[in-house]
Amino acid sequence: MSRVVVTGLGAASPFGAGIVAYWKGLSGGVCAIRELTLIDTQSFRCRIGAEVSGPLAGSARRTRADRLAIGAAAEALADAGLGARDRRSAAVVVGAVGGGMLEAEAWYWHGAGDPRPASLRGVLPCAQAEALASRFRIGGPRHTVVTACSSGAVALSEAAALIADGVVDVALAGGVDSITRICFMGFNALKLLDPTPCRPFDRERRGMSIGEGAGFVVLESEAHARGRHARVYATLAGYGTTTDAYHVTAPDPDGDGMVRAMRAALGHAGAAPHEVQYANAHGTGTPQNDRIEARALARVFGEGGLLVSSSKSMIGHTMAAAGSLEAIATVLALEHGVVPPTASLTTPDPDVPFDCVPHASRPAALTCAISNSFGFGGQNVTLLFRRGVA
Amino acid sequence: MTPRADVAITGVGVVTAAVIGDSAALGAFLGAPSPPSGPALSPGAVATLIDPTEARRLSRVCQLTIAAARLALRESRLDPAAGLGLVIGTEFGDLASTHDFADGFLARGPAGLSALLFPNTVMNTMVATTAIAVGAREMALTLNAPTVAGELAVARGAAAVASGRVPAVLAGGVDELDSVVERELAHLGLGGERRGDGAAFVVLESREAARARGATVLGEVSAAAWRALPARPWGVGRMRRSRAIDAALRAAGARPADVSWVYASASGDEPRDRWEADVLGAALGTRAPVSSLGRLLARHAGLGALRVAAAAWTARSGLLPIVNGTTRLERVPPRRGLVHGLARGGAHVALVVDAA
Repeated sequence: MSRVVVTGLGAASPFGAGIVAYWKGLSGGVCAIRELTLIDTQSFRCRIGAEVSGPLAGSARRTRADRLAIGAAAEALADAGLGARDRRSAAVVVGAVGGGMLEAEAWYWHGAGDPRPASLRGVLPCAQAEALASRFRIGGPRHTVVTACSSGAVALSEAAALIADGVVDVALAGGVDSITRICFMGFNALKLLDPTPCRPFDRERRGMSIGEGAGFVVLESEAHARGRHARVYATLAGYGTTTDAYHVTAPDPDGDGMVRAMRAALGHAGAAPHEVQYANAHGTGTPQNDRIEARALARVFGEGGLLVSSSKSMIGHTMAAAGSLEAIATVLALEHGVVPPTASLTTPDPDVPFDCVPHASRPAALTCAISNSFGFGGQNVTLLFRRGVA
Repeated sequence: MTPRADVAITGVGVVTAAVIGDSAALGAFLGAPSPPSGPALSPGAVATLIDPTEARRLSRVCQLTIAAARLALRESRLDPAAGLGLVIGTEFGDLASTHDFADGFLARGPAGLSALLFPNTVMNTMVATTAIAVGAREMALTLNAPTVAGELAVARGAAAVASGRVPAVLAGGVDELDSVVERELAHLGLGGERRGDGAAFVVLESREAARARGATVLGEVSAAAWRALPARPWGVGRMRRSRAIDAALRAAGARPADVSWVYASASGDEPRDRWEADVLGAALGTRAPVSSLGRLLARHAGLGALRVAAAAWTARSGLLPIVNGTTRLERVPPRRGLVHGLARGGAHVALVVDAA
């Protein structure tokens, strides 16, 4: 099986366009969760979220999700320095949930009458993969995965599988979601949203904050990357995907599915638990999820066995983009030797037996880290990265 | 290079307006094919397939999915505890619940929002409920794609088994009819094809594992590949050379002349159907007869998996249902055939299916 390396990164995050802005915000511990402007939040208890600010890539006729994806993917492809020939046979794997729902909602809200916006063509989750393949002339395997909040991470594991199996040498993979009314209202209905910016792993945490964005990476076989002298950020050394088969919205209270995903990633990478120094946690900020994830981390790595932080404390839960944006955060942590913080953590929860890096980022000589993503339906993914080519 | 798969099909589950049951029921239908009385399953037919608690709790599309998945699993006699993955292809997911959720808000504001309906608005709801229903605890994927979601799910499932990532996979597709979708597709000029609803699954496992546990092998997916031809989203392209067919044949160690028959995705979307005919002609010539079950059964994501199961039947029986105005059975050389799907936008899938 081919070893899979990361050679390009791209982000459209609540910190703005680009990887530089993303890392500056994360490492600076900046919270980008603010009053929502994209949708009407009147009469809801929670009225905040993390929107992508600034101009978006692509034509205004496209859906917001298309434009977020195009911006992040263009950056990742340029960062990797991929030529047209490589793109022609590359795979594109996208994790998506809402697709162009924001625009479809606006139309449906007004009685589904004419005129229909052209962007309605982009309503399905697969629209972003179609748009990227068309825009960047990517002709290899194309698929869109929907595993709820872990979709972006699953896209990376799916792309890595295609490379490891020898189907392709190169893949563009990532996740994208724009804020939608249905998502905002749904989490309100479930009473899972904190009216103030979320506080993962804090004893006083009250729920999550929604966000939006896109994160894309270029994955390659090590041989292909070496052959073209590409810069290698990290090796995607292992991944594990499991299903709780327990409940449609609640995680297995014992965290068994999470534990199996983390152990599968370790096993796939041939890594021992003590080698992993940092976990970029799923860390949503809901009382139940954080407690169960902490318990699962402790079962695999031992209490206090590694540093843990949640990017969602700064960019909110970016849904299908979360898994890929957080994978990128993990890669950047390895690259820079800096663990981004859990920005809003003031009162550590005694049920979370880890140093969750409160407030400020911390220098750390990292060589191996994981990124956890867990979705509705008990869809668990762990990605394990090693620094450079390892 | 796409690796050879050598994946056994050991169970079939089909829940459509035309046929409900396992491989035997499908075989009986294919042996005397006739169009269903309508494109949608009757509510009564769905109710008989699941227990009353599930009928109360689950949306219709989830009920279809669970019913077909259980039929396939029952025929395979596979123990999910030994490690079962789940790959479901769908084009529209649980759109009915999404309408209901939105309509609740539009009618009553925040008080009209249903916390129970919200999870169904996420397209993986069929995976989530089916994983619970059948005890699938390994990798579980929902694949969203126009036209080819079902065959893509089978191809992805076969690849997962072939690589050893999961011992067995339930792979298939599901969709249901939706009036808003019908209206909007017509508005986009895509209303020409017949759309139906239903679900179909196959159980995939390694040939060795199937034989070791004494399972009946209904057929084999020898190779599976998926690629993209150049085309704008929702558009029809002009390129005829299919890298998916090339890759699948190469992986199976087969030449174009080895393909005796084809199950294609043609379903009445004439520009796309013509493009697929051109692609198949360029790859295989005009010698191999082509079956287009979508013209008979109406298209939905389950049809992709149904066609894989039908291909296994043809590989066993040497009979191919030809749908071309009228429907007739043609005797073909058994053994090896191709299942092909091509979507607007260029995504295409090819699976080489052999007799066991």
